[in-house]
Amino acid sequence: MYIYDKFDQTVVRERVAAFRDQVARRLAGELDEDHFRPLRLMNGLYLQLHAYMLRVAIPYGTLSSAQLRRLAYIARRYDRGYGHFTTRQNIQYNWIKLEQAPDILSDLADVQMHGIQTSGNCIRNVTADHFSGVAGDEIDDPRVTSEIIRQWSTFHPEFSFLPRKFKVAVTGAAQDRAAIKYHDIGIQIVRGPNDEMGYAIYAGGGMGRTPVVAPLIRAFLPQAELLSYLEAILRVYNRYGRRDNIFKARIKILVRDIGAAEFTRQVEEEWRQIRETGVNLPAAEEARIRRFFAPPPYDSVTEPVAALTQARAANPGFARWVETNVHTHKVPGYAIVTISLKPPGGIPGDATAEQMEAIADLADRYSFAEIRVSHVQNLVLPNVKQADLFAIWQALGKIGFADANSGMIGDIIACPGLDYCALANARSIPISQAISERFADPTRSAEIGPLQIKISGCINACGHHHAGHIGILGVDRAGEELYQLTLGGAADQTAEIGQLIGPGFTAPDAVDAIERIVDTYLKLRQPGEEFLAAYRRIGVAPFKEAAYARG
Amino acid sequence: MPVVNVATGETPAAHADSWVRLAEGEAPAANAQVIVPFARFKTEHEQLFAKAGAVGVEIGGADQVEELVPWLSRLGLIVLQFGVFKDGRLFTSARLLRERFHFKGDLRAAGDFLPDQAIFMLRSGVSSLEVGEKFSLDTLARVINAYSLRYQRALDAQPVIVDQRLRGNGS
Repeated sequence: MYIYDKFDQTVVRERVAAFRDQVARRLAGELDEDHFRPLRLMNGLYLQLHAYMLRVAIPYGTLSSAQLRRLAYIARRYDRGYGHFTTRQNIQYNWIKLEQAPDILSDLADVQMHGIQTSGNCIRNVTADHFSGVAGDEIDDPRVTSEIIRQWSTFHPEFSFLPRKFKVAVTGAAQDRAAIKYHDIGIQIVRGPNDEMGYAIYAGGGMGRTPVVAPLIRAFLPQAELLSYLEAILRVYNRYGRRDNIFKARIKILVRDIGAAEFTRQVEEEWRQIRETGVNLPAAEEARIRRFFAPPPYDSVTEPVAALTQARAANPGFARWVETNVHTHKVPGYAIVTISLKPPGGIPGDATAEQMEAIADLADRYSFAEIRVSHVQNLVLPNVKQADLFAIWQALGKIGFADANSGMIGDIIACPGLDYCALANARSIPISQAISERFADPTRSAEIGPLQIKISGCINACGHHHAGHIGILGVDRAGEELYQLTLGGAADQTAEIGQLIGPGFTAPDAVDAIERIVDTYLKLRQPGEEFLAAYRRIGVAPFKEAAYARG
Repeated sequence: MPVVNVATGETPAAHADSWVRLAEGEAPAANAQVIVPFARFKTEHEQLFAKAGAVGVEIGGADQVEELVPWLSRLGLIVLQFGVFKDGRLFTSARLLRERFHFKGDLRAAGDFLPDQAIFMLRSGVSSLEVGEKFSLDTLARVINAYSLRYQRALDAQPVIVDQRLRGNGS
């Protein structure tokens, strides 16, 4: 993974000092809250319902074991002993004291971490495929591109006061595991007409109250010209994105209002004028960054792993976990492990300091000291020997993270909701807990197969409900929390926005309705047909009917 | 209001403004340095250039800097008027004026902004700030010198990290 040199280290150190200065001015009354807000937000510090929340950047979801241990330390020292991994591959702490925030940033800087641009109307921490560098279907490791974007976007002189937040995601494979079409800019690494490496660029996607699947604005951008093209997009957006209405200020509204073709024309015209002005990264610097992402020293494994076969045969629970949580690695004899942070009845994405430390130990022992955070709020051990899988599964069992539910109905994305968030209309966590408990039986979950449930506690859609195979949106109706259901959403390369099926349910009724929808799928599916495929074939009608057919 | 020239590495000091804003309908005194709103400038530029000693124009976030291009070599000052401090359009306006249209005069930020924004401003080509009485020059001095390195090439003189790396200064 990328390791800071003295320049990167100096930037985060100076950032700590600058933020300490800002906090001191706020506490002394030199800064009022209105003017302090954008400053603290650019450092990931929110004011929530009960306390400050600090969001720490985990650039493109890549962590070292030492960094994860530091995150555990911060949870214990400054928070209530746990942290919450988010849909943007970051971690947030919900019980932070403003006076301590500079010290936390200093502790983070020790391990090359920070909270820079995890919030605010700026270019946010860039996200990428959590299987970067280890997936077999990858054209190139998206972390190289992501690190280039991280550096380019950090304290950008021109684009730090945008109309609204701005999110960039990168995938290196045709199989989109980073939901790129729901981002302000989605970048897919592709091969050009002469097999050269480059990018397909999508722009103007997003969730929120106006969900949009991003249109393609450039089918092929040469790799070396990435930064000038991004700069052109940002410049058009910064100049012409709406600033009169916060709900219409995202780039998706600009692209929609002037049309993707006209937007593209403006970007290309701007790009023509800046592509030779020294914005692009020199090849030598690209090569320097790329070296950090060289494969680790894998052992050569030529024989089938007999121990794995035996353990699967002897232990059905382990066999189920291998089915769902272990993924094909590009190197023979190795595997990718998803550690589910979704125990039935748990809070999606939450991990205690002890759990984080145990996972850091596993990474040291079995995965070249590296961990990934997925946008589905799970952790990943990217480089595991197949022969070690059983030992890892047993160790995960001891910390309560051995559930065989990655990609399954219990693998729920949920925003913090009204339990924490000042914007929420309804709670997300309790309904997530109720659903995961309802479908906790692993045999039943395996029978249902892949099914993504995503829950947002308000229209801002932080829980990605628009992209859920089953989406749940919490609303407030005259003081009562109700939950609307959407069906058929998808976040991958077949991205689609889910369809609202009708009026909202109370929380208990919503769980029952989901069960009836699932039962309807089981009844109507063809052999081997997954939920989303069945829904796309059959359409909404029988599912909607079942949802409202109270027993 | 006092004016502060800004450049990295320098301690900012306030000085009295030699420019005056003309009131609506007010004619410039002979040889005065006058600032007029962009709308007035568009209709009266010839008279202004003929009478005043120097002409400055004030633009807001919504104004298109391309429209100023015919007169840039004759303008002594362009004021970027921040209606609200969040209006980031003016950072692009500043860069375009400097980089694309090669404006050489004073580029001044005025209105509602934070000392903490000054570093972004000077990197975008702003050369002076119009500040109120409460504006802390101490804070400004700390803020604009808070960072010794830059990831992006821009309009200030601080070292750019990629250049340092290419020179082999990294480890």
